[in-house]
Amino acid sequence: MAKVLAQLFVDLDFNVSYIPQFGPEQRGTPSVSFIQYSKNKIACPRYEKADLIVVLRRRALSQIERFIDKDTEIIFDSSTIPRKLIQQNNSFVFGIPATKIAEEKFSHSVLNVIVLGVMSKTYLDIPKEVLWNIIEKQLSKKFAKKPELKKQNQAALDLSYEIELENVKYSRPAYDTHNEIIVVKGEDKTAVLIPKYCKGCGICILKCPVSALKFGKVLGVYGTPTPDIDIKKCIRCGNCFRYCPDSAIKVEKNI
Amino acid sequence: MKKIVTNFSMPECFNEKSKPSMFCPGCGQSISLRHLGFVIDDLGISKNLTFAIDIGCSLLSWNYYNFDIIQTHHGRSIPTAVGYKMSREKRIVIAMMGDGGGYAIGLQSLLHAAFRNSPITAIVVNNTEYSMTGGQMAPTSLPNEITSTSPEGKIAKLFGGAFHGPELVRNIANKNSFIARATVSNPIMLETILKKAINNQVSGNFSFVEILSLCPTNWKTNAKESFEFLGNMEKVYPVGEIVNSSKNKNEETDK
Repeated sequence: MAKVLAQLFVDLDFNVSYIPQFGPEQRGTPSVSFIQYSKNKIACPRYEKADLIVVLRRRALSQIERFIDKDTEIIFDSSTIPRKLIQQNNSFVFGIPATKIAEEKFSHSVLNVIVLGVMSKTYLDIPKEVLWNIIEKQLSKKFAKKPELKKQNQAALDLSYEIELENVKYSRPAYDTHNEIIVVKGEDKTAVLIPKYCKGCGICILKCPVSALKFGKVLGVYGTPTPDIDIKKCIRCGNCFRYCPDSAIKVEKNI
Repeated sequence: MKKIVTNFSMPECFNEKSKPSMFCPGCGQSISLRHLGFVIDDLGISKNLTFAIDIGCSLLSWNYYNFDIIQTHHGRSIPTAVGYKMSREKRIVIAMMGDGGGYAIGLQSLLHAAFRNSPITAIVVNNTEYSMTGGQMAPTSLPNEITSTSPEGKIAKLFGGAFHGPELVRNIANKNSFIARATVSNPIMLETILKKAINNQVSGNFSFVEILSLCPTNWKTNAKESFEFLGNMEKVYPVGEIVNSSKNKNEETDK
């Protein structure tokens, strides 16, 4: 997403510095990108405080907190991050329920396009076609593989230009990681599922010999689906418990 | 039934504060560490244990357990473990590393520890590539395997075939050392092998376990494809104890 923005600034004749901070060293930790754009020459790619921060996942908050001061504007995904976790003494905090809109109307993957659209309309006031050209170029390979993605992204971009930023009343973070343990009681056994440890790898679903597990609606560590269990099918073989890399599931006998 | 809390499915020696861990979804090393944790619980040695980790994905376990963990230099988890054990003979010392730390930059240390019969337990996690840095070709990469530095397949003529570490180590290791290869596709056997390895250390001898593991992130596979690839690995790298050959002349001569 940051790459598209950086390209956009280049196309608008700005000098741009774009430092993405992600990659192998950051496996499992959130990715952060640092952009500067200016009509003047940019002296140094690093900066102490940001003018604008866009944060889409709760886990990224710890990475960007040090760049916030009283003047920083913050755009956050209000459907995944509770407002109260963002700096309290800052009034420029705007929410977009991007994940909610993406999941409900399109598919999860268009949430970036939605955020981009809202940002370019609100802060840059450029026509959506300009932004669409860059998005299309960036995602051309993916669109070639799956043509329906192109339509979906285009529709998402169109919708994003109609969205108003939330500043007083924010959406509920319904798409955040589910914090409670899920206990499913069967006749002679009880299943315990812990979404806040589940990364959605799907190994338990693969290894279940009776197909008692399949992806459900409860969201895990990365905001991705975690498995639901059909306790009547379960034979307590122990496979899910044995293979789970993150200790997120176990079925025990009722005593 | 145990009280249903978030560490319901975890080994006792786990540091729950570090979960969800930094390992990728579906990581084979995470599965291995979990079973090592169960073995440590069974043997009751967590209060008498030191763990030395290498650079690479093994360093992601720096706070994984609630016993002492030493971060070492690349390829140096074994020599650090050996030195530590010399000063603390009664402690159990385990050195963990990946394909690079074991068979590339750290190969010399591994071979000599086996040759000397240093009473430590070395564990190499084999996923046929260098994960942390982005999935580069390793000695353990299979012939024709596509990695980030062998985009058209590993050319065995130029780079060698599949590197059989435990077999190599067996040839030089002392007769009393325990050398085996395990796989995350068989977690029960993995635990048996790890237990035998640690008990071998308790009896004053070297032990070495290679664990065939998954890397869905760099292999770019989903759960099913990951285990399929692991199946291919098991055809090339036989699982089980590497038995001493009758030709092995390396035995302690002074008692």
